[in-house]
Parts: sequence; C-alpha cells; structure tokens
Amino acid sequence: MAEKLEDLNLPLTVVTRIVKEVLPDGVAISKEARTGLAKAASVFVLYVTSAATNIVKSNKKKTMTGQDVLEAIKDIEFDRFVEPLSEAFEQYKAHMIAKKSLAGKRKKKPMKLK
Amino acid sequence: MAAQNPRHDHHTTKPKDLHLPISRVKTIMKSSPDVDAVGPEPLYLVTKVTEMFVIDLAKRAFNSGKNNTLEYKHIADVVQEDDTLDFLREIMPRKITVRQFKELMAKKAAKGNKSDDDSSDQSSDSENESSGSSE
Repeated sequence: MAEKLEDLNLPLTVVTRIVKEVLPDGVAISKEARTGLAKAASVFVLYVTSAATNIVKSNKKKTMTGQDVLEAIKDIEFDRFVEPLSEAFEQYKAHMIAKKSLAGKRKKKPMKLK
Repeated sequence: MAAQNPRHDHHTTKPKDLHLPISRVKTIMKSSPDVDAVGPEPLYLVTKVTEMFVIDLAKRAFNSGKNNTLEYKHIADVVQEDDTLDFLREIMPRKITVRQFKELMAKKAAKGNKSDDDSSDQSSDSENESSGSSE
C-alpha cells in the first residue's frame, strides 16, 4: 500500500487556519514556519501512534483503543493535554451515541403505540 | 467504552470540533508499522491531540519572539530547548547561513578539537552563497 508523499502531510491551509485562530490578529506567519508546523504535526501523529502501538503490544492486544492513546500521550510526556483532551473525548462520545441512537430509531421496527 | 461503529470511515462526518482531516491522519497512522485497523475513537483522539500540539507549539514559539511575526526560527528554538520535543529535532534544525557555518568551523579549528560537541545544530542550507571566501 504505497502512499503518495503528500498523503503523509497535513494540509498547510488547515494548519495555518488552526494557528491563526489562536494567535492575535495581524500576526504574520512565515511560510517556513507554516510548513514547519505542518511537518511537525505529521511527525507528532506518528510519534503518538508509535507510543500507542507500544502500549497495545505490551497489553498483548491487537487493536488500539482510545484509552491506549490517552496512556500514550502521558508516556510521551504531554500530560498537559490529557485533561482537555479527555473532556473533548467525552463530548465526542456522547455526540456519537446520540447520533447512533437517532440513526437506530429509523431502523427499528415500528413501536406499537397503545 | 462505547461500542465502535465498524462502518466505513469515509461515510463518517468529521466531528465538528476537529479541523485536521481525519482521513489524512488515518493515512499517516496506518503508515506506521504494526498499526492494523484504526477505529474512530483513537482516530479522534490522535487528531484532536495533534491539533492541541500544533496550537501549543505555535503559541510558545510566538511568545518567545519579539516581533509580531511567527518565524521558523522561533519554532526551531523551542524545539531545540525542550527535551519533550526531541522527536522533532531532526526535522526542525536551527538554520544558519553558510557564512555563519564557516565562521563557526573556523572558530572550532582555531580552538582545536572539542570532543563534547556533537554539532547537531548546524545546517548550512538556508542561504545560497556562491564562493568560498566570505569577506
């Protein structure tokens, strides 16, 4: 499964947008800085993934779970992200459950109404 | 843990709080050895934490500079000075000009060999200078 090189990069425009949102208005970001951040992000994905895979293996499992990723983030010393990340994760899970239950209602047999 | 939906990911709407494309993040994750399937939950978390990481690094780099600009140099400095960012050091070296590199080498030669320096910070690729003599 060969990936094209650009597939392993994260889009520059998106990275730029993320960064502009958190910096004060009117801050100029050099092209090199943007490219550097995009590359750093890709490398970070690999870094977290590799740490999470190690945890999966050490647990003698095969499939990565959300919990593995959270543990991995602590392993690589980015504990400061764990709390806000966990909060976002809870919201995400709640959202997915709500979505699923909404989709599920369409599939269920019609309820017998008394 | 909530049961993971094994549906095709390209039918999944991207969670509204994410900016980075999850399909791309998934591609990167799968390029890593020993990664099998990547379910939606780990995928969400990796994507989200990567966004946090970018924001964090950008803010730190910006705060370390004095102008109203964010430049590569600021980011490279943060990376070189923080050990938790060791994994980035190879791809984000500090950059110096060819002239600076030559001056540095000349200084080292004058002082004699210093065996404790691994000179991993220098790269001379940021400027094009045509000849060897600098001034």
